[in-house]
Amino acid sequence: MSVIRCLKPAFLLLIFISLNATAAEYRIGFSQVTTTEPWRVLFNKQLRKAVKQHDNVELYIADGQDRTEKQVADVRVFIQQKVDAILIAPKESAGLVSVVSEAMDAGIPVIVLDRKISGDNYTQFIGGDNLAIGRQAGQAALKLLGGKGHAKGNIVEIWGGMGSTPAHERHQGFAEALASEAGVKWVVERQDGDWKQDRAYDIMSTALRANKKIDLVYAHNDPMAFGAALAARDAKRFKDTYFLGVDAIPKEGGLWVKRGFLTATFVYPTPGVKALEQVLKLLNGEQISKTISLPTQTIDKDSVDLYLKNHK
Amino acid sequence: MQVKNLISTLWRSKLILSLVVLFFAASLISPVDSDGSRIFLESGNLLNILRQVSITGILAVGMTLVILTGGIDLAVGSVMAFGATLCAMLLTLDESHNGLWVSGLGLGTVAALLISAMIMAALYPKRTSIDSKRPSLGLTITIPSILIIVCVSAAVYYFFQQQNNAPIVIILLSVISSCALLGGVSGLLVSKGKLQAFIATLAMMVATLGLARLMAGQDQSVFPIYSGINVSESFDVLRQPVWGIPVPGLIFLSVVVIFSIFLNRLRLGRYIYAVGGNERAAFLSGIPVDRVKIWVYALSGALSGLAGILYCAQYQQGKPDAGAGMELDAIAAVVIGGANLMGGKGSITGTLIGVLIFGVLSNILQLNNVDSNTQLVLKGLIIVVAVLVQQFDWQKLITIFDTMKKSKD
Repeated sequence: MSVIRCLKPAFLLLIFISLNATAAEYRIGFSQVTTTEPWRVLFNKQLRKAVKQHDNVELYIADGQDRTEKQVADVRVFIQQKVDAILIAPKESAGLVSVVSEAMDAGIPVIVLDRKISGDNYTQFIGGDNLAIGRQAGQAALKLLGGKGHAKGNIVEIWGGMGSTPAHERHQGFAEALASEAGVKWVVERQDGDWKQDRAYDIMSTALRANKKIDLVYAHNDPMAFGAALAARDAKRFKDTYFLGVDAIPKEGGLWVKRGFLTATFVYPTPGVKALEQVLKLLNGEQISKTISLPTQTIDKDSVDLYLKNHK
Repeated sequence: MQVKNLISTLWRSKLILSLVVLFFAASLISPVDSDGSRIFLESGNLLNILRQVSITGILAVGMTLVILTGGIDLAVGSVMAFGATLCAMLLTLDESHNGLWVSGLGLGTVAALLISAMIMAALYPKRTSIDSKRPSLGLTITIPSILIIVCVSAAVYYFFQQQNNAPIVIILLSVISSCALLGGVSGLLVSKGKLQAFIATLAMMVATLGLARLMAGQDQSVFPIYSGINVSESFDVLRQPVWGIPVPGLIFLSVVVIFSIFLNRLRLGRYIYAVGGNERAAFLSGIPVDRVKIWVYALSGALSGLAGILYCAQYQQGKPDAGAGMELDAIAAVVIGGANLMGGKGSITGTLIGVLIFGVLSNILQLNNVDSNTQLVLKGLIIVVAVLVQQFDWQKLITIFDTMKKSKD
């Protein structure tokens, strides 16, 4: 098995070389920014699964290795290969504009996924709405802490990257929803967990020392919320606190809600399946809209079983 | 005269002093509890600091050894993450089998090295350290070594496959030996390959990250551990407190004690200083410079593996990307601890203090809920200040006092 895995890159290379020779009706190139984060892994997995259901589609995934210049090169290769459509999940908004324009000029439609790119020279953007997710988390917190106008409690918020747009939007939406509540107090704010479980664990273990009472933890992703929950459990104060996360990857957030570590999590949907649907529409000559915003969904102990069943 | 003594004592203990000053400052600005006690000084908080620094601290001890020889080990973070991933994979074996070969190879190679060392000792019993040209070992050692590596690897592989719940001690041993092996490769590159330590370990850092990802497989970026569910609860011992002190902290402190004894009392420890102080002189006086270097990097790797195990236990997960940036934290702690990046100067105690300075600082800032971005700026500042304090010419101050005294007379 391990030998096969080691040979995989070589196989991929072979596939790449023979790309022009294959005879599927639609060939789609997908430039994914990185393949090492769990959310990206899920993203690729769901997209691959959706592609499998269409015999006439062939999908090539290029791993951008978290580097803009690698993504630029990957997209150029797709243009050379004259694929029918390009999906791109960009690393950043500015660096990929020119290569996307090149593809558009070559007559290849480009669908931008998850993160936006500057300007509007692309076919369609599909992504989740972090602001809406933040708001929904805020609403859930409001309910847990006693309802609108009566909410009371100490909140710990653990940020994702301080310099990242999703973190700011997830914060902003959350803060908006709780803005008018006088009883709600942020005891820990603007602490950067860098999206990491271990960092959040350490932030929470210190926060537990500094505050006798913590009613709710809101972390910008599930691993951080889980890390905070572990810290509270190790300090024997797990039962006093609600834990809210974001992303709801079945193997992570979903499982943690099911096992009772997290109170709730909010789906940050992967755009792959929608993108495939839209590409096929487009290639069949239909019109598609410029922007699609994917809805979120609250996963708590009532909805988790169904969610996990649907996302095996 | 008294002033002079006072200053030179201060000079010698300036490191501890800066920790003490920071400690007092921290207790002054610490938020106060509802019952009036200072939160920073509560034993729970101080033990929490110890726990929080223990992983970086163990990496920093390994880093100290390497820096003492005049090298640097950029791979510690990657190797730690590799160890954490391997550990999580071996613990949750029913879900994956990729870690088997790696651990088998790790244990196998270390066993082979030990046995060939024994054979060597038997074949060439009285080798003086003066004849730096060692007898050519050739096939007498190589072939048996390879055989042993293959046999032990296969045995470990078979053993793990037979048992769903392999004894945790064996898992931990194979993690540590695999990481020691990776460190040893860095050591070989630096000593025999004559590569600059920065380049060799940079290469190892990147390669190890890739290796860990390959081992984890494409669809697995994190291996979660749920004690009592997919991992036996005995692994939890590494997370819980013993006599009130968290186990990671205890392990970190024992590593500190063991390695300061090692550096000050054992021959290899003294050789490390000699190699770092003046490599040429050390070589000419018969010190096996290359072997010292390989040892040092292998030890650093083994300590990274230990840190990886603790990471796995503490944060309940193993993932290839866990160690990003940790090598820099470790280097910073070592430098604050008074080590010279050119080698030959530094101590484990210094590193312990360096690690604690960092820990206390980030704890007090967090207790006061200081913005993370401000924390980063302050940490940068502390590194600069700590190094400036050490470079400050205190001897000059003494001579100034002396001349003042003389002019009075």
